[in-house]
Formats: sequence, C-alpha cells, structure tokens
Amino acid sequence: MSALLAATGVHKSFDGFRVLDNVSFAVPERGLTGIVGTNGAGKSTLFAVVSGQLDADSGRVSFADADIVGMPPLRRARLGLGRTFQVPREFAHLTVRENFLVAARREYGETLRSVFIGWGRVRREETRLVERADGWIDFLNLRAVADKPAGTLSGGQKKLLELGRMLMTEPRCILLDEPFAGVNPVLVEEISNRIRELNATHGIAFVIIEHHLEALKALVQHLYVMDQGRVIADGEPAAVLAEPRVLEAYMGGVI
Amino acid sequence: MTAYLVAVGIVALIYMLLTIGLNLQYGYTGLINFGVVAFFAIGAYTAALLTLAGWSLAPAFVVAMVAAGLLAYPIGLLSLRLSDDYLAVVTLGFSEVVRLVIQQERWLTNGVQGLPGIPRIFQTLGIGEYAELATLAVLVLCNLAAIAVMLHLVRSPYGRLIQAIRDDEVAVEAIGKDPRRLKVQVFMLGSGLAGLAGAFYAHFITYLSPDQFLPLVTFYVWIAMIIGGTGRTSGAAVGSLILMVFLEGSRFARDWIPGVSEVQMASVRLALVGLALILFTIYRPQGMMGRRQ
Amino acid sequence: MTLVDFCNLLINGTIEGLLIALPALALTLVMGVARFPNAATGDYMTVSAYAGIGVQALGATSIVVAGLGAIAAGAAISVVFYLWVFRALRGRPPVASLVAAIGVAFFSRSMLTLFVGHDQQTFNMPLVRAWNFGGVRLLPTDLYVAAIALIAMALLFALLHLTPIGRQMRAIADNPDLARACGIRSGRVLLALWAVVGALCALGGMMFGIKAVVSPELGWELLIPAFAAMILGGIGSPLGAVAGGVLLGIASELSVPFVGPSYKIAVAFALLLLVLLLRPRGLFGKAIAAR
Repeated sequence: MSALLAATGVHKSFDGFRVLDNVSFAVPERGLTGIVGTNGAGKSTLFAVVSGQLDADSGRVSFADADIVGMPPLRRARLGLGRTFQVPREFAHLTVRENFLVAARREYGETLRSVFIGWGRVRREETRLVERADGWIDFLNLRAVADKPAGTLSGGQKKLLELGRMLMTEPRCILLDEPFAGVNPVLVEEISNRIRELNATHGIAFVIIEHHLEALKALVQHLYVMDQGRVIADGEPAAVLAEPRVLEAYMGGVI
Repeated sequence: MTAYLVAVGIVALIYMLLTIGLNLQYGYTGLINFGVVAFFAIGAYTAALLTLAGWSLAPAFVVAMVAAGLLAYPIGLLSLRLSDDYLAVVTLGFSEVVRLVIQQERWLTNGVQGLPGIPRIFQTLGIGEYAELATLAVLVLCNLAAIAVMLHLVRSPYGRLIQAIRDDEVAVEAIGKDPRRLKVQVFMLGSGLAGLAGAFYAHFITYLSPDQFLPLVTFYVWIAMIIGGTGRTSGAAVGSLILMVFLEGSRFARDWIPGVSEVQMASVRLALVGLALILFTIYRPQGMMGRRQ
Repeated sequence: MTLVDFCNLLINGTIEGLLIALPALALTLVMGVARFPNAATGDYMTVSAYAGIGVQALGATSIVVAGLGAIAAGAAISVVFYLWVFRALRGRPPVASLVAAIGVAFFSRSMLTLFVGHDQQTFNMPLVRAWNFGGVRLLPTDLYVAAIALIAMALLFALLHLTPIGRQMRAIADNPDLARACGIRSGRVLLALWAVVGALCALGGMMFGIKAVVSPELGWELLIPAFAAMILGGIGSPLGAVAGGVLLGIASELSVPFVGPSYKIAVAFALLLLVLLLRPRGLFGKAIAAR
C-alpha cells in the first residue's frame, strides 16, 4: 500500500545551519503517526515544510500520490492535508461556531456576488453547514462556549477549536502540532479519545508532534524520533522508546 | 444658519461615506489603507471632468465610483502579495503620486489653478435653496444604503471570512481559503465608495484643486473611524460627526482667539490630528484591532 | 541624450542616491528592530534641518557646527518620541506603531510650521563654482555632501559590526526573544538605536537642505523615495538600503529627460511597484519579507 503522506530526503538549512538533514517519513492511509524529539530537533520545521509554510531546500513531499513541493498551504489544505498550530491561531473576534463555519468548504457563500444576489442559496448552504458545525461542536464538547468569541477560550479549548475547524474542511490527514501542550490531564485524555474516534470512524490519518510522551505512546501506531535534524529511529512506539540511542538522545539527562 | 447646518451636514455625510469604506477595509478586513484621499480625489476629478464635459450627474457619479474602484485593483494586487504594512506604504505613496499627477497634468486638471464652475447637484431643477437640502437627503440615502449593505455583508459568510482574514491570515490559508482574492475585492469596494464620496464633494464644493487632497484628509478619515470604533458599523456615523465638530469648531475658535492667522490655525489643526493619532493608539487600543503577528 | 548629459545625470543620481540612503538606513534599522515602517522618518529630517538653520541663525557661521546641532536635534526628537510613543507600543501589532508614526510626523511638522512658519530657508554656504570637465559638471558642495554621507555610512557599519552595542542591535533584529534570553538589555540598546536613527535622519535632512532649500515639506516628500530605496535593497538590510538608494537616485535622475523633474516621486513609486512585482524581497533581503 502506498503512503498517504510521504516525505523523502528533505533538507532545510537556515543561515548555513542544518535544521532538517535527509529526513524521510511516511504516513499510511488512516494511520496514526507520532514524531518526538527535543526542542530544536526540527519537528516544527518539518511540519512547516509538509504543510507548505516553508519550502525545503531539497527533497520530495507527496500527498495522495501528488507531488506537493512548492504548493502553497491553502492548496494543500484543499487537497485534504490540514494542520493545527503549536500556539493556537483561532479567529479571536469570531464566535466558536463562526470559527467552524468559516472553515467549511462552500460553493457559493464566499463569493462577493452572494452578498448581493442568491440569498436563498446562501441560506440553504448555511443551514446545512450550521448543522454540521454543531455536530462537531457537540463531538468536541464545545457546546457551552459555542456562541462566545474564540479569543476568550482557554488554551485547551482553543486546541479543540482548531481541531474542529480543521474537521470542517473534510481533511484526509491532519498534522497536529503539540495538541497536549499546556492542556490539563483530563483534557489530554479527552483529546486522545477524540483523535482515536476520528481515526477509527472517519478514517482520518493523524501526524502528531508531541513532548507528552506517555499520551503519544498510548495513541500512535508508529513513532519517529528526531534529533538534531535527523530521524534517528522509527517503529512501534514502545520498542522505539526502548532503543538505547533514543534514550540517550531524547531523554539524556532527564531520566 | 440653516444653510450653514445643511452645508456642515453634507460634508459630514461625505466623510461618513469615506469612513464606512475605510471601516470595511481596515475595521473588518485589516487592510491598512493610507491612501483614502487618492480614491476620493479620483472620484472627485472623474465626476467633475465628466459633468464639465456635459455629462449628466448620475452617470458621471457611477463612472467616478467605478474608476476609483478599478484603480484600486492593481494597487491592491501588487501590495497584497506581501504583508499589509506594504499596503500602507504603497497606498500612501499612491495618494501623493495622484496629487502630483493632478498638479502636473494641466491639460486635464488645470493643475494648481484648479477646476472651477463644477455644476451643483440639483442645480438644473431650479429649486433654488432647496437644492442643498435635496443633496443632503440624497447623501443620507446613500449612507443608509451603504450601511445596509455593510450590515448585510459582515453577517454573511463572505463577511465572516473577511473578519477571519483580519484576525489571522495564516490560519485562513491553513483552512484552504485564499485571502488575497477577498482582500483585493474589499479594497476595491471601499475605494469605490471613496470615489462616490469624491463625486459628491466635487459637486458640492463646485471647485477642485490639488491642495484639497493632502494626505491629511486620509487621516481625518482614520480618526473618524478610530473614534467610532473599528469594526463597528454604527461607528462611522458617530466618528464623522465628532470629526466635523472638531473641524468646524477649530474654524470658530479662530474667530474667538485674536491674532491667530489661518495658516497658524492650519498648523494647530495638523498638530491636533497628529496628537489624536498618537494618543488613540496608545490609550485606546480597542480602536485598533490589528492582527496578531 | 549625449554622453556628457548622461554622465551629468549619472553623477547627480549617485549623489542624490547616497543622500536618500541616509533616511533609507534609518527606516531599515527601525524596520529590522521595531518591525514597522517609521513614517515619521521624513519629518525627523525636516525638524533637524531647521535646527541646523536655527544654529546658523544664532550666529554660528560654520556649517559643521550647524550640522552637529542638527544631529543633536535629530537624535533628541527621535529618542523623545521613542520614549513617549513607540516604547509604549512595543508588543502591540505593528499597525499601532505605524498609525502613531503618522501622528508623530504630523505633530512634529505642525509644531515646526506653527513656530517657524512656512518660509523656505537656506544654509549660509560659500558660493562655489562647479568644476567643468569638458561639459561634465561637478559641484564641490555635492562632492562634500556625498563624502559626508559615505563617512556616515562607514561609521554606521563600524558601529553595527565592530562595537558590542551594534552587535546587540543586530542580535535583537535577528531574534528578539533569543536576544533577551542571552541577557541583552534591550532598553538601552533600543535607546541607542533610536538616537542613531535620529542622527541619520538629521544628516539626511542637512545634506538635502545644503543641496537645495529647507522647507516644511522637505522630509515628507523624501519619505516615499526612502521607502522605495529600502524595499529595493531589501528590508532590514543596511547594505541593501545604500545600494537601493543609489540605484533609485540614478534611476530617477535618468528619468528626468523623459518625464520631467517634477515626477521624481512618481518614478520612485513606480520603481517600488516594480520591485514588489518582480522581486519582493529586494536585492539583499531575506526571504522572510515575503510570505
């Protein structure tokens, strides 16, 4: 089976400093993949390259059998490759429900024309989308804050909001950038369960960058470990984390 | 006295059109337009030149609006390739270039001597002093229409998306939407409204010269918008009224304070505008929504 | 256009460009560290030039003394507005500083016209005749002005690259958080930076005043050319600002035979648009300027 998302031999340097050095990884359809590494290991840069915020110096990135190198982020998102951000980027002055609705794929309501003509068509589209947005809002347990401005949410709620907003775009694969950072343990469990459910029932593949090893180990099927811009190990999570060089690189000094 | 109030009202309503346009651009979409006066000037000169050439007013006004909107297209397209700070710089430069062109191209605009004898609105109806009152009424209607469209627009899916662009453009791209198309459209819409305001202005003042279109005018509009509250539809009305009280008040103040020349009063006005811009940004940050970087 | 005409335009353009580079450097320094286009740059130039005139009016005949007075005034006004306005706006979106900068520009210009008036002023300079090399004319004054601009730039580059405070400025421009983590006390560095910015504006204002006349619109009219020079060179790159200034100066002089002298601002603006269209990060800029 060919991979849904694959990076092959990706290099990226900043001012002569190698941030990504021959990085390759692959995510199968419906896969749950994790990437761990210390600060500065290159995880976030890798995400930026995969989602299109940065261009790699060399290497290939493909998604759903299409070469996506050089493709701007919005086109990658339209292909079904979504991402969340380490520091949530909610639309602060819009309500939670509006945040969801903005993200929906639509045919008509976003054209300037629709402001002036075809209100009935917009309304029908809107009714359908509100229903779908409310479905995800309930799924993510955000019903109580649905009409509040997103800027007033807690950190954990903003992470859920970003995930939900992504779901509205009907993605095939979501890149999650530290979904558990700054989130309380109860919510960590909650978010993990949601991810599992989305993966199992909707077939969405996930790639997750995390520091929170325990949660990640229990969640993903395949784990990559990065250190100083390279992938130093990958495989089944428990096995990978037991490898000596992983222990040395990733947890050196901590444990 | 009534005639005076009507005149002040007309100018206030012209500023209100400008403020509504800027509020759509900056308040709702986050576009920093520092060249409002350029589109105002283009509207004014376009309409004036057409009516002086014998056109009737209504089509001239429509062409003025369209011309201002269309000129916004290349400017928006170029500068919006980059971050919004560029739009600020480019529009500011554009407004100075437009003024320069008006000054230099005498064959078209009569340069610094200006264009006199622009027909008044409703002049041909022969209703005498009621013409001004009728102008006021038409301006009220135009403003109401503009506000109605704005209210509808900002609550539509389209309006939701432009506000999302204002709040976080990177996130908008991450959900697969193209901010540029909407930014250019909004920039054109607001500029078209400024063009319409210019057409009204030309046919109310009946005389145009390049020194009526200094960058100062742009920042009058900015202050009106900030006072009224960015991203609030009702704000434009409040802001333009307060601005008019200030502008007219400074004119009266000169009559009361002896020994102040008009030139000095112009300096004082400029100083107060500068001070207002400084103090509002420091002490009333909610007037400036801004986008997270 | 004959070769001689061409040479004259080339020389004039280079000199103009070296002078434009001074405010362009001021803009690029602020852009690099405080991340907003400082629209008050032009009016800092104007106020400083008037300060130089004022020093001469007080009886100092030496143009050097007048220049020092202008630099002191430029540094002072720049630091005062930093302390009052731009420091309060740190950490807020750049648009706040940008709007405030327009306010600062209007405020300082209006104070000037309120107390000094709108009359044009000139520096007392000994009248000198231009050297003539078979039709190629060179004014000694222009040569001095260009030399001073070059010396100022050399001093600035020495400051940025050879002194601890200059290195700290560059560190803050590179990565403010990292600089703070490394223990750089940004308050002191920023104060020095704004003083340097003011001094650059002052020098620019003086030099333009010496070359032509001093009027309340002097700096404001140079703002767009200075912006164009900065963007042409690449935002945040001091070397780029100088190169951009010189290129812009030459381009606008060479355009004079075709579009007339009054359209210099328009030429600068057209060049600005062209750069945005073809190479948004400028000649020496990093790719970060473009999204």
